[in-house]
Amino acid sequence: MTRLVTAELLMMRKRASTWILLGIWTALALTFAYVVPYIQYTNDPARGLADLLPENLVGTLLAGFPFFGGVLALMLGVLTVGSEYGWGTLKTLFTQGPGRLRVFGAKLIAVAAVLLVFVFVAFLLGAVASWAIAANEGAEVAWPSASLLIRGIAGGWLVFAVWAALGIFLAVVTRGTALATGIGILYAFVVEGLLSALAREVSVLDGLVEFFVRANGYSLVAGLGVSAEDVSDSGPGSFSGPFVAGGQALLVLAVYLAAFALAAGWLLRRRDVV
Amino acid sequence: MTEQTNLVIETNDLGKRYGERIVAVDGLDLSVRRGEVYGFLGPNGAGKTTTLRMLLGLIRPTTGSALVLGAAPGTPDSLRRLGALIESPTFYPYLSGRDNLRVLARYAGVPETRIAPVLEEVDLAYRAGDRFGTYSLGMKQRLGIAAVLLKDPELLVLDEPTNGMDPAGMAEMRPFIRSLGRGDRTVLLSSHLMSEVEQVCDRVGVISRGRVVGEGTVDELRGREGLWLRADPTDEAERILRSLRAIDEVSPADGGLRIAAEPAAAAAINRALVEAGIAVSELRPERASLEKVFLELTQEEEAA
Repeated sequence: MTRLVTAELLMMRKRASTWILLGIWTALALTFAYVVPYIQYTNDPARGLADLLPENLVGTLLAGFPFFGGVLALMLGVLTVGSEYGWGTLKTLFTQGPGRLRVFGAKLIAVAAVLLVFVFVAFLLGAVASWAIAANEGAEVAWPSASLLIRGIAGGWLVFAVWAALGIFLAVVTRGTALATGIGILYAFVVEGLLSALAREVSVLDGLVEFFVRANGYSLVAGLGVSAEDVSDSGPGSFSGPFVAGGQALLVLAVYLAAFALAAGWLLRRRDVV
Repeated sequence: MTEQTNLVIETNDLGKRYGERIVAVDGLDLSVRRGEVYGFLGPNGAGKTTTLRMLLGLIRPTTGSALVLGAAPGTPDSLRRLGALIESPTFYPYLSGRDNLRVLARYAGVPETRIAPVLEEVDLAYRAGDRFGTYSLGMKQRLGIAAVLLKDPELLVLDEPTNGMDPAGMAEMRPFIRSLGRGDRTVLLSSHLMSEVEQVCDRVGVISRGRVVGEGTVDELRGREGLWLRADPTDEAERILRSLRAIDEVSPADGGLRIAAEPAAAAAINRALVEAGIAVSELRPERASLEKVFLELTQEEEAA
């Protein structure tokens, strides 16, 4: 299995789209977590500097994970599996010998590893940005505890992994990239976004929204230092609830991750490759 | 070695149906022996590629069964020992030829030291560092062959391997495919090109509308050599020929007469006709071309 995973990692490393997504992700994460808020702070110091200091690194960064970060992870998942249909390379891989499920497993592991890199890079650059701001403002540099950092990285990775697994599932269902990306973004923004917003006025939707990827993603990161005010006041990606308990969020996201991966694997194994 | 254990591919009533109306492969019985180059000949849409995909486990048959290298199609036991090039070669366009082979070597469990020799073998080493997307069709085809050879397989399944190659490339490829089939290695070559099959294959199976309609060596399929005659008047010549003992059968063909007789009987036939006052303008040995046999077999099946 190690050989298969290294083959997948070689493909992902050499693929421009992996680096483009990483670039977009880090640029968005830094812009919305540090650059824009710092400009706002310099214009209006009354807003406070606390969120931009190293101590709040985890909460400040994680606020972007369930929104634009998740959509970028979805695109990574779609591209990793959906492109195989477009290029016709699935038949090339499936005739090498390891078996369809092992091929799929290698792809999942490789995507999981790349997502971890996405999370690490964001945290690393976030740490540099928050340190630079603290140094510039003469503020005290205090880092979050190792335990919070690890939970933050793990939580961010889980949110990414669920969206990427949804992308992989959609790519397998639609046997391509274009429709899968369209459906994925439509689902993330329109279905979950609109229904979440409507849930404030239509109480019957409240229960449904509590099982959305978005609601559980935000609820998971809320337990790691993201304030509800921050995410309810973040423009088109705003989320104002309902929030669920951290334990439920973890469980629901884990179930989504397993369900998307298993359903995609089952379909991939069962279907003809034409 | 018994006939049974000598079979590398064996199918029994293999069929693939899409819905109620489309029958891609219809009860196909195929036997490919170890060490031969077997030509799988059929017109476009005859079911060749669907059959090959079923033999590789890419498509599930709706009826019948198959054994490939003694194992069920698509299982690691059979796939590890075969190399396949199905339709156009498909690789990652953003990777170089060498990196594509590195990926496949890791998937197939083959040491990466095999990559350089196979690239040399298909004469692609000089472009191995370039992206696959920049290759010409012929180069893509050669990389496909290199990928097939990577595993040093017992069985090669090649689907139209000379597709897109220029005449020089095709001429080069044919003896190469022939050489691949030397020794114990078996080659299953699917093609719609008669000359290719005629030059390369030991045995041929002709497929039409998803069924094998003829099978044998090229010589067996073409039948025995006979004679073809142009004479005037033709009907009188036919009457005289029917009376000759050396002749098994006479039939009108291509504006003359086809004579089922040994070519050595030509002198006696000519003498008999001239003595009867028939003007013989042409008398020559004739053998049905594979193309003719192929057209007859496939048209008979379509008519049926």
